[in-house]
Amino acid sequence: MSAQLLISGVIFGLSIGSIFFLMAIGLSLCFGLMRIISLDQLLYYSIGAYITYSLSLATGSVWLGVLGGLVVAGIAAFAVERLVFRRIYERELTFSMITSFGILIGGIGVIKFFWGVVPRPVPVPMMVQIDIVGTEVPVYRLIVIGIAVLVYVGIWLFLNRTIIGKAIRAGIENVEHVEGLGINVSRLFTITFIIAGALSGLAGGLHAPLIMVDPSMGLEVLAFVFMVVIIGGLGSIKGTLISAFIVGQVVSLGSLIYAPLAQMAPFAIMLLILLIKPTGLYGSALLKR
Amino acid sequence: MKAFRWWWGILLAFALLAVARVFLPLPFVNEVVIFSIYTMGCSFLLGRVGLISFGQPAYLAVGAYGTAFYMFYFGANPYIGILLGVLSGLVVSFIVGPLFVRLRSDYFALVNLALAVIVFYLMQKVLVGITKGDNGLWFLTSIASTPVLNLGKPSHFFIFALLVALAVWAFYKYLDDSIYGACCLATKINEDKLRFLGYSNYSVRLLAFVIANTTTALAGAMYAVYLGFVSPEISSPSRAADPVIVTILGGVGTLYGPIVGAFAYTGMKDVISKLIGNWELFIGFLLVFIMLAGEKGIWGSLQPLLEKLLFRKRSTTGTADSGEAHR
Repeated sequence: MSAQLLISGVIFGLSIGSIFFLMAIGLSLCFGLMRIISLDQLLYYSIGAYITYSLSLATGSVWLGVLGGLVVAGIAAFAVERLVFRRIYERELTFSMITSFGILIGGIGVIKFFWGVVPRPVPVPMMVQIDIVGTEVPVYRLIVIGIAVLVYVGIWLFLNRTIIGKAIRAGIENVEHVEGLGINVSRLFTITFIIAGALSGLAGGLHAPLIMVDPSMGLEVLAFVFMVVIIGGLGSIKGTLISAFIVGQVVSLGSLIYAPLAQMAPFAIMLLILLIKPTGLYGSALLKR
Repeated sequence: MKAFRWWWGILLAFALLAVARVFLPLPFVNEVVIFSIYTMGCSFLLGRVGLISFGQPAYLAVGAYGTAFYMFYFGANPYIGILLGVLSGLVVSFIVGPLFVRLRSDYFALVNLALAVIVFYLMQKVLVGITKGDNGLWFLTSIASTPVLNLGKPSHFFIFALLVALAVWAFYKYLDDSIYGACCLATKINEDKLRFLGYSNYSVRLLAFVIANTTTALAGAMYAVYLGFVSPEISSPSRAADPVIVTILGGVGTLYGPIVGAFAYTGMKDVISKLIGNWELFIGFLLVFIMLAGEKGIWGSLQPLLEKLLFRKRSTTGTADSGEAHR
């Protein structure tokens, strides 16, 4: 394998990993704090992508579209949390899984209703390529990686330096104690859910120019996002980041070696990791309260 | 009399299905019967053992390909084909079962999904020399006609499918009544207590996993013979949640839930996609509604009403019986 192919493969893997990370972080936070598995994050991802498509068509700026996607996805997440999840926090894990899956397919139906079933292209906002050790690399992919790193730093600062973030971290350990300290846990849940939804929307908006936008795009990445969360360990942000980049590299470099490997290798790795360490790389033995 | 009381629910259900055959198109009822067998495995896992699996298509595909390989390359007898499909499902679930049932329920769901994806790509890309990739294996014309029930004919196939489904339901009803069925419920509700009673949670779950997935493989084998062809599409991850949806729709863990659910789901899919062409919207929100309304499903909500009706009837017949006994 030539060095040029390798470098572009690694960059491709990192940018795919960044998208996976942005989506998985929401799932991971939701599981950690509320103990729900929120499959509807994939709906906010599709919403983000579609809003990006429509706004970039209307205003000509993809970046504005991404911003709009982030906001609309956050609003949708807020509505769903208020209407549905509020009622099911105390239920079993499988319960939230099935309910959120219902929201996901219902939402796909809504998207089909508004935008139709035809895949839509979104223009790449920056066509510039730069030279890294003799390889032409698209700047847009580097920006995607940069945004993911920024989000990681931002989330880290939020969780470690602000009162709400500290309350969220404490809530992951023990919600009753946080409630006992006089913090409004139900508002904490809402804030976390909105953050998760908005980040999924951001992932959708950033991913839109790299692929075609179609209604079932959420289902296509579902398996990969879950794999990222499982390999990293449910409820751990650091594990999510590391496993997102592992999965990204496996998908990208695997497809360079042997094309069908790109889809299968990550699953094989996930099975292997789960058999060795059933809670994932950084997961603790978090159980349903 | 006792035997009749045990059987009458199942017989009534399948008699109704047989009557439905007269009014509804044949492909529809065939689809319903096979789909309800497919769902039965998932319903047993979810409702009785508490394991949710988003990877049922994997076992469906194993059964379907087990049959298809035999039918395409070796022989022509559909009965042997179905038997081999079931056997391959049994073998595969015995291989993966010990690894999977140790996992926690949320991981279990996702590992099964991963298996479905692996099987999908295995059949679509890796084993393309044997499976013919996306084109699939076609063997409809080479199905040998058998003396009593000719499975190549859809009308004969319906009778066969009905008999198989009857056997499957009787088997699951028997399981529900047995001590093993009680152990399954116990491992769902309180595994510590079951361990305290001296049973192994692991082996109870493993047996349930094997039983459920062999049932799923049976459905796959029947799909293969019914359609006369098998393609990787059968284990497509995008259809992974179908059996879960049907299970919830019918009523989790109930005996007749899968039939009612399969009937409603297949019917709604046909009717709604004809009317508004956007049935995901409807199914999705129906699913959320059922979950919020207490996850009873269609059969789960109907059952108490029916029992009330029947109970009133039975109480009158009951007094009549005792009156006879006195005489």
